[in-house]
Amino acid sequence: MPYEVALLNNYLIVGALLFGIGMIGFLSRRNMIVMFLSAEMMLQGVSLSLVAWSRFHNHFGGQMLVLFIIAVAACEAAIALALVTTLFRRSGRLDIADWHALREANQPPFCDEPLPEDPSDRPPQWPRLAPAGVQPEIPREKTDYRPKV
Amino acid sequence: MTDPHRILLLTTLLGALGMWLMLPRGTARGRGTGIVLATIALGLGASQVPRLGVWLDDSVFLVLAAATVVSAAAAVTFRNPLYCAIWFGQTLLGTAGLFLFTGAQFLAVATIVVYAGAILVTFLFVLMLAQPEGKSVYDRVSWEALISAVTGIVIVGILSMTIGRVFASPGPPGEPLAAATADELASGVLTAAHVARLGGELFGRHLIAVEVTGTLLLVALVGAAVIVAQGREGFRVQGSVPEADSPSNSEPRTLNPEPS
Repeated sequence: MPYEVALLNNYLIVGALLFGIGMIGFLSRRNMIVMFLSAEMMLQGVSLSLVAWSRFHNHFGGQMLVLFIIAVAACEAAIALALVTTLFRRSGRLDIADWHALREANQPPFCDEPLPEDPSDRPPQWPRLAPAGVQPEIPREKTDYRPKV
Repeated sequence: MTDPHRILLLTTLLGALGMWLMLPRGTARGRGTGIVLATIALGLGASQVPRLGVWLDDSVFLVLAAATVVSAAAAVTFRNPLYCAIWFGQTLLGTAGLFLFTGAQFLAVATIVVYAGAILVTFLFVLMLAQPEGKSVYDRVSWEALISAVTGIVIVGILSMTIGRVFASPGPPGEPLAAATADELASGVLTAAHVARLGGELFGRHLIAVEVTGTLLLVALVGAAVIVAQGREGFRVQGSVPEADSPSNSEPRTLNPEPS
């Protein structure tokens, strides 16, 4: 296979991999930030394919489109993070499962994995140290009067 | 066994299984196996892609591509969203390297400056404000990990097989898949004045698109500020925001939404 054709082939495969992995992350993660990160990864996969085609056809059009993809992705990130902030304000968490009320009318709520136990719910286990030494004699003036508050 | 279709099928299956095991599923039991399977799948796939012919180009491309794909898989499967963001930064670096390898110098630097320098930092700011403890309970589970892993890898497999078939066959007569020659590239995309040509093309042929993009950025900036400000008490304009259907208003908030 000639050099340029093999280069195009390889770049398209890497772009497809980035797109597929981004899609896996978007469909399966529950954190809104990670979902959006996966969407940006899908855009990166497409950008890679466009740059490869631009090199193959010796045309700047692909790189132009990638430039506009970067600009539009920046706008999209701004708006999406504003929306995420607003949603976080209302529910206190970045979990997309809190917004089940936005589903379609005839769909039951879906949750296939129960959340594991939150480790911060348990009271902290502080280490117990054995008492060592003699308790010092503290004179009464030091306990009654504090020179500085 | 060395039939390329069989190897691609094995790559697809192992990749799907590895991704499913690596995704957060509430337990940490299968992650090591998933990493091993995904690495084997990556190696099998890398052995099947056509070689460029020049060993230096081949090795540079394989290293860049492996760094990009491995960090992409890590960005999607780690449980701490902060680590996901850092791995995504590594993916961006890999993509910028791949852009540079093709000759798109400006795009490589623009990706690092805009994507990794602005968008990723904005993500980190929101994570800092919203989830400063890092890992949270809902980060350790995922929806339908198996179906999404299978779907993603099937899409990648279909695309790869189509690409391989298109480039392996000689093509229909009369419309050959012609690449640009080295001379054309030296005066085109790979010219020494690449950035100057890019600027000329951008502000010549796509001038209107540039102006529209500038307006779009302004609108996005103002819109983001308005959206965040509208959520605060005391700013609400009379009658413009409808009654919020938030979960705290309608139903008692539970950790696991119960199927009714």
